[in-house]
Amino acid sequence: MADIILQIAGALIFMGIACGVLRLIIGRTIVDRIVAIDMLTVISISLIALYAHLSGRFVYIDVALVYGLLSFLAVLAIARFLERKS
Amino acid sequence: MLELLVILVCAGILVSGVLAVCLGNMLAAMISAGLASLFAAVSYVLLAAPDVAMAEAAIGSGLATLIFLYTMRRTGSGREP
Repeated sequence: MADIILQIAGALIFMGIACGVLRLIIGRTIVDRIVAIDMLTVISISLIALYAHLSGRFVYIDVALVYGLLSFLAVLAIARFLERKS
Repeated sequence: MLELLVILVCAGILVSGVLAVCLGNMLAAMISAGLASLFAAVSYVLLAAPDVAMAEAAIGSGLATLIFLYTMRRTGSGREP
């Protein structure tokens, strides 16, 4: 049962990565690309956490934690840059 | 399974690197460079190097984008490719 749930989670993560990269390639405005990279950050954090469970090494959870703490900085800086420019 | 994961993530690095070179808008190219660094951090985790991945996530994705933005604001560029 748990294996099926983990496989479904992996498939959903890769569909999310594919959709995010597609949005980043198409991206009409710059805001679309910013939202796409924010979504890809959250999806990659969940991928690292899933791989930490699959491989049984819980050191990888620390990487996901550090990444989650630091990932909002870039999006915040770009948002302030756009706000100041407009 | 692990090889497939690593190949997919490395394809993501390749796509975002090509985007960072080809996109005309400088802000979009900067976002794509941050995405390449993000996928590189994930691939370091998959290749069993969590400390390198932590440094890459802190420096490559967070600090480099901030420094690029600061430079763009100080020099007043951002239009020309």
